[in-house]
Amino acid sequence: MGVDLKHVSFSIDGTPILHNVSASLKSGTVTGLLGPNGAGKSTLLRLIAGIDKADTGSVSLDGITIGSLPRREAARRIALLEQNAAPSVELSVLDVVLLGRIPHRTKLMGSFSGDDDRAIAVEALTMVGADSLVDRSWQTLSGGQQQRVQIARAMAQQPSLLLLDEPTNHLDVSAQLALLGQVRELGLTAIMALHDLNLAAAYCDQILLLDEGILVASGTPAAVLTPEIIGTVYGVDCFILEHPRGGHPVIVYAAAEAS
Amino acid sequence: MSLLAATSLLLSGCAAAVAPAAGSGTVPSSGPNASATGYPVTVDNCGTAVTVSAAPERIVSIKSSTTELLLALGLGDRIVGSAFLDGPLPESLAADGANLNVISDFLPGQEAVLGLNPDFIYGGWQSNFSADGVGERDALASLGVGSYVSPAACKGEYMPRPLTFDAVFTEIAEAGTIFGARPKADALVATLKADLAALSPKTTGTPTALWYSSGTTTPYVGAGIGSPNMIMTAAGLTNVFETVSDTWTSVGWESIIEADPSVIVLVDATWNTAASKIAYLESNPATQVLDAVKNQRYIILPFASTEAGIRNVEAVSATIDQLANLSG
Amino acid sequence: MTRGLYLGWLVAGTLALILACALAVTIGPATVTLTQVAGSIGWHLGLSAEPGAPVLVDAIVWQLRLPRVLTAALVGAGLALCGAVMQSVTRNPLADPYLLGLSSGASVGAVCVVILGLTFALPVAAFLGALLALTATLSIARVGGTITPVRAVLAGLAIAQLAGALTSFIIFWAAKGDSYREILNWLLGSVAGASWGSVTIAATALIVVGTGILLSATRLDAFAFGDTSAASLGINVNRTRWALLGGVALLTGAMVAVSGAIGFVGLILPHLVRGISGPGHHRLLPLVAVFGGLFLVIADTLARTLFDPRELPVGIITAFIGVPVFILLIKRKRSHLWA
Repeated sequence: MGVDLKHVSFSIDGTPILHNVSASLKSGTVTGLLGPNGAGKSTLLRLIAGIDKADTGSVSLDGITIGSLPRREAARRIALLEQNAAPSVELSVLDVVLLGRIPHRTKLMGSFSGDDDRAIAVEALTMVGADSLVDRSWQTLSGGQQQRVQIARAMAQQPSLLLLDEPTNHLDVSAQLALLGQVRELGLTAIMALHDLNLAAAYCDQILLLDEGILVASGTPAAVLTPEIIGTVYGVDCFILEHPRGGHPVIVYAAAEAS
Repeated sequence: MSLLAATSLLLSGCAAAVAPAAGSGTVPSSGPNASATGYPVTVDNCGTAVTVSAAPERIVSIKSSTTELLLALGLGDRIVGSAFLDGPLPESLAADGANLNVISDFLPGQEAVLGLNPDFIYGGWQSNFSADGVGERDALASLGVGSYVSPAACKGEYMPRPLTFDAVFTEIAEAGTIFGARPKADALVATLKADLAALSPKTTGTPTALWYSSGTTTPYVGAGIGSPNMIMTAAGLTNVFETVSDTWTSVGWESIIEADPSVIVLVDATWNTAASKIAYLESNPATQVLDAVKNQRYIILPFASTEAGIRNVEAVSATIDQLANLSG
Repeated sequence: MTRGLYLGWLVAGTLALILACALAVTIGPATVTLTQVAGSIGWHLGLSAEPGAPVLVDAIVWQLRLPRVLTAALVGAGLALCGAVMQSVTRNPLADPYLLGLSSGASVGAVCVVILGLTFALPVAAFLGALLALTATLSIARVGGTITPVRAVLAGLAIAQLAGALTSFIIFWAAKGDSYREILNWLLGSVAGASWGSVTIAATALIVVGTGILLSATRLDAFAFGDTSAASLGINVNRTRWALLGGVALLTGAMVAVSGAIGFVGLILPHLVRGISGPGHHRLLPLVAVFGGLFLVIADTLARTLFDPRELPVGIITAFIGVPVFILLIKRKRSHLWA
């Protein structure tokens, strides 16, 4: 099962963004979505989440076409965290995580004081190692802490699929590594759009490489992250080494030639 | 929204400015060295010194009170233009005013007025002389155009407290002096005084009365020191709001219902007819219970006759007559 | 805040509202005793066979004060509710119910009928004016079927300016005599003319639209992190936004039709109440409605009594109370504004 993309195409106001993207992602794996700016990564994530609908082709999760699901149904299975969430939000950490329970609430006006919801929220925070933050105000958290809480919010949705758009932006190194490590540990099917090729190589089971809306390569990090492919897509010169402990590819960039 | 409110506030100054009667009871005298014609004339008018060296020949009159006064003084042929009238001329002046050049139903601008080449502007309200009205009085003076405000309408410290018939008559005489028609003015005053003295208000008790000018949610009514009170008192009515020290005032219906006036005086103006006020009184469940409304004890006066001026005595007379009909 | 504490606030607020209404009916320029009030109300409700007060007092209580107090409570609740929703939907702490040009449009309608001397048609004209302005705002803000908050706010500003200019023009062109006074009263907002008709309009609008809004509390919460987050939480962002804006417009239009453009209630109350209830809408909305009603009943009572027998338009009182409170909120460090 898992996520299946079949010939997905999408354009906005006549401008093609994605063209004929097909891929098959196994359940429980962590997939890195790579590509230069404007390649269509965010758009693809929105399509997989069901927020936008593909012009042609289909996206399915565990055999069910996402486009055919009502929004709330989709939200119970798929959680999407966009880049750079929020501006000043005056919520407590617990309130933020409780937002993730919204897809599971009945339509009537209900408060979040149901023990169920609270327990799930706390559990989600524990899963990301942020349970000590539960009563803090969201605004007082550091960038890394906020990102973890956001993931907890996504976890509170109890999704089968986790979609993260550039989750490590603006985080310092230790926070980046901790966050990605946590995502792996969750054991969910996850797709992360990433900038950093090395992080992708270290934490992803497979890579989808987009360039200008076309899927130019897919497969294991070792298969996709080759100097030729990287050179073609990113226009940079690089060497690939093997990580001494993990065995995954390490990309070393050659300095740009002065020309 | 607040800009709009401020604008309305400014403009409503006009509506509130109707406060008749000159403060002092004396008529301006010509200077000790005045020539036989009575000029020059010096007057303190609402705090502005007005010096007239010769009888104005080209007068612009703003509002009915001033226009009708000039016509009554026989100066109709000296009016080059009138504006912002409050209603049709009374029958007695219809002939004199047949050729009246009415340049606007609203307050005209400075250029329009100056285009008539006036040498004098006689305004019924102090606010007529504003920059976006006929012009500031200083500016007009520097252009050689004299100005004069009906003293009863002076604002601030010059507002008569209260307005009396003596003040109204003094104003007529003063106007006569300014415009070179003193004899006619004196005659007019004498007639009005006689008429006033001849009136016999109902002496069996003084019924209470409400002077209802306008307003539905918040009625605008005659209060204690202006022409409404003057007219009602002369007609033998007690104004239910005579203790309010203002010319007109806004009140709530509650106060009116509690006061339960015996009679309601309704002002009839084109912009707010007596009929519309009656319709409101009779359709509003709160006012329906008033005795005056149930028994239709209404007195109707044309608006122009209620501003301080030559028609006030007529207004009192009409009030007395209508009151008598109601009681009968 | 615990659930118990919140419920305590809600109950206390409701009791305070009822008490304030009861007291307000006994207060006014005319002398009316508590017994007379009770007697009058009892008679009209059919609880007693005899009129409980003299005819005039009964008219004052039942035809003037009671409708007025009830209208104030309903309008206050409605405006506060709309303000809270507007601030959430547009993600703008300075939003108020009139943001989409509603009050300006209503003003045009109101001014027209006052000038024409058709004051009886005031509520209808005001409501139609509000709807017209809203339609204009939304069609400007709508691009490809979606409305973004920023665009809605800007479009509302444009329409408000246009309607304001139109209102000024009408006043300058056609207003004579005392019409200025009526217009000013309306522009500043007043419940002085409230009748049982007003109460019916306000109550119907509040119950119908208010219920819908209360049921949307969860959806409103989802907007906390922006459109994409809301969508990923299962909210149909566009449809929800259209529905909420439409509901606010209807409710505000009805309130403005009945009482003119009373300011500051919709702006201030949500901030004040959010400080007590927190930003969760399932708690914020009921509490803001209760306190909105309480606020306006008190403000109107002050408006009626401060300069007895003269009456101020209640919009002046709400401004005088609202502005200092707002300044206090801005200055406080732990303020609950979103800025």
